[in-house]
Amino acid sequence: MSIDLNFNEQQQLIQNTAREFFQKHCPIDVVRRAEKADEEYPADLWRGMADLGWLGITFPEAYGGLGCSFLDLYALYGELGRSLAPVPHLECVALAGTLVAELGSETQKAEWLPRIAAGEAILTPALMEPDGLYGPDGVTLSARRDGDNFLLNGVKLLVAYAKSADRLVCAARIGTGDGAAGVSLFLVDPKAPGVSLEKTTNMASAPLYAVIFKDVAVPTSDALGEVGGAWPVLDATVMKAAVLQSAMVVGAGEVVLDMTADYARTRVQFGQPIGRHQAVQYLVTDIAIEQNLTRNLALRAAWRIESGRSFLREAALAKACASKAAAAMTFAAHEVHAGIGFMLDYDLQLYTLRAKHWESNLGDRRHCLERAMAEGGDDPLPHFQHA
Amino acid sequence: MVDFCPDDTPQLKAWRGEVRAFLEAELPGGMTFDYDYDEDEAGWDAYLAFWRKVGAKKWIGLTWPEEFGGLGRSAIERWILQEEFAEYAAPSHPIIGMAVAAGLLRHGTHAQRLRHLPGIASGAVQWGEGYSEPGSGSDLASLTTRAHLDGDHWVLNGQKTLGTAAHRAQWMSVLARTDPEAPGHSAISCFLVPLDAPGIQMLPLHNMADGQQNQTFFDNVRLPADSLLGDVNKAWNQIWFGLGGEALDPPGPSPDPYRYRIVRMLRKVMSYCRETRHRGRPLMEDPVVRLQLAELLEGVEAIRTQYYESYSNAVTGITVGPRPIALNLHQAYYKEFWPRFAQTCMEIVGPMAQIQGGRWACLNGELEHYFRGSVSNHAGGTSQLKRMVLATRGLGLPR
Ligand SMILES: Cc1cc2nc3c(=O)[nH]c(=O)nc-3n(C[C@H](O)[C@H](O)[C@H](O)COP(=O)(O)OP(=O)(O)OC[C@H]3O[C@@H](n4cnc5c(N)ncnc54)[C@H](O)[C@@H]3O)c2cc1C
Repeated sequence: MSIDLNFNEQQQLIQNTAREFFQKHCPIDVVRRAEKADEEYPADLWRGMADLGWLGITFPEAYGGLGCSFLDLYALYGELGRSLAPVPHLECVALAGTLVAELGSETQKAEWLPRIAAGEAILTPALMEPDGLYGPDGVTLSARRDGDNFLLNGVKLLVAYAKSADRLVCAARIGTGDGAAGVSLFLVDPKAPGVSLEKTTNMASAPLYAVIFKDVAVPTSDALGEVGGAWPVLDATVMKAAVLQSAMVVGAGEVVLDMTADYARTRVQFGQPIGRHQAVQYLVTDIAIEQNLTRNLALRAAWRIESGRSFLREAALAKACASKAAAAMTFAAHEVHAGIGFMLDYDLQLYTLRAKHWESNLGDRRHCLERAMAEGGDDPLPHFQHA
Repeated sequence: MVDFCPDDTPQLKAWRGEVRAFLEAELPGGMTFDYDYDEDEAGWDAYLAFWRKVGAKKWIGLTWPEEFGGLGRSAIERWILQEEFAEYAAPSHPIIGMAVAAGLLRHGTHAQRLRHLPGIASGAVQWGEGYSEPGSGSDLASLTTRAHLDGDHWVLNGQKTLGTAAHRAQWMSVLARTDPEAPGHSAISCFLVPLDAPGIQMLPLHNMADGQQNQTFFDNVRLPADSLLGDVNKAWNQIWFGLGGEALDPPGPSPDPYRYRIVRMLRKVMSYCRETRHRGRPLMEDPVVRLQLAELLEGVEAIRTQYYESYSNAVTGITVGPRPIALNLHQAYYKEFWPRFAQTCMEIVGPMAQIQGGRWACLNGELEHYFRGSVSNHAGGTSQLKRMVLATRGLGLPR
């Protein structure tokens, strides 16, 4: 045991491979083209990631996965953030796929995990509802037992890639109440009778949908995990994914920092680089500071997950910080770039608009701060502990 | 005597009523002008049609002399008109034309005023502003577009950038260097340029808020001698006066519908918070949201009082401290408050604020659009520059 904040060899390998892969296969014009394309994600990019094993990176080898650890996955996410790769990895692998791996029956795992890993199936989570709450009380879509089926009724919002998805992993509620008890997960075919999709574009051109469920019959065999008892695993999986989302903020923040520092060094006004002005130096260093805070908090949370320690408090802190950083870093970058940064031709906006999406994805700042306090219980700031 | 009441006579109250009645009758129904419509053909047509109606009443040039298409009315009447336009979310003024008009009234020849002001006053002619260049933003005095005399014509060469609404304009006021030897701001002149002149090309710059600025290229554009506005090599002082905005010259200090969006947006967010229940109670009753809203309210009210301060300074000639302080202070505050305001509103409304339209969008997606628009806070100069001027010229700090 010692203190070491560096990736191990395997993680460095993943990081380097991913950086090269995305530089080659996902330069920024691929990101731009994807905004306008009909297909929800570039199929060849997804295929390439499948070939490298990244679509099953953490799945057990028995199901076509690589059996990698959380920190290995975390290393990949920094690069997904840097490249802004327009792919459903967070949704399909880190969330939906992981939920199947954690909660699925033998049949469910055998049916979905190898196909996800091979790039042959897309699963996507359907979690948020119009209220915009992230806790168990946000799950109100009702599931009612009806013979061999459950009947689902309600609305899910911000469901990404719903149109491409083979299955939605839909959070629903059995019975009344608004607590953790009763939260259930179902695998739902988005083409099933009673499911309708409405596209709801956001500023980041993400393929988001409102999904409306009207008496959607789901066979009991498509329940994922214990009916009424899915919350703890759902919550842990979402919080882990929130750490990955934070890693994306860290990665994208690195690019925004480089881009902005570079601009401050080379843009000349009043006969000197604008970066000579302390006003500009403060802005550039704001980006560096926010990026660093997020990096450290996210890395610590990832380590706690990796080492089997409790992690909800740390994950919440990481995402709270990432949400702030996402806004603060891009704000500062725009201040430094001034006029040119407002223009679509300049790449900064691509990061800004995605950062805005990530800011609230899987927990906004307020929710995460409240969560961090709550997870701390009576002692929100415990003594250094490595247990 | 301290007084914050703009209309304390029956005549002024009646005037406010007249303006309101006009807006009630003429603002195209169902259309709010909290967007920039320069990219949307139907929106732009409605915008122009509205302004022509204002022009027909001679209210665009309300305070100008009648011979130039105005009514010769008082500054306070203009304030009241603007206040109502702002509250009613009327489209903001063809704003650059108003700045050009201010320059014309101050520095133009009688013939130039007669030629250009009536078109601005009637809403028929739109103007763009060609100041910034790719290499000259904050450091405007370093601009390299140049003009030289060839017989009785000026010949203009160079490139301008970030021109707002230039693609909708028929004319542009252009700054150019008129003495290749003289450095900095001592050799800059202002030209009134018809955009259909041979040698002019324009390219769009699409922006983050679905609108457009423009690059304009001038290749040996020949301009008659009377295209020069004011004195040769003296535009620097002329435009700083124009950018000063505190003058009583038209448009004069008054609430501007464009900036006033911040007031209207806060109202919209507040009514959203009253109507939307989270965990069984209106968002408005959530103590955290309440505090966030209260802080936004404080900022917005402070900005409103700054309008009053500008007006008072202009009318009475009395300022607190040296003149450059108030204006640069207001601008720095507004430019920094605006993006923070948009950010906080997005946080209050929550994750669904990101949806851009349709029935699942909050506030019809207007807040999301407003947020993207807040990235344009650098138009007219960055807050860092405003602070620099405030610190050095205003507060005597070393340069
Ligand atoms: C939406 C929009 C509309 C516009 N419309 C028009 C228009 O119609 N016509 C027109 O001519 N122009 C227009 N502009 C241009 C605008 O005037 C410039 O963007 C502005 O003056 C800043 O210049 P810049 O963008 O080149 O930034 P730069 O001057 O390159 O500044 C970059 C950064 O350096 C900082 N900086 C520079 N100098 C200093 C210093 N001395 N001290 C401290 N910090 C410094 C700035 O604050 C900023 O953070 C528009 C801009 C926008 C965004």
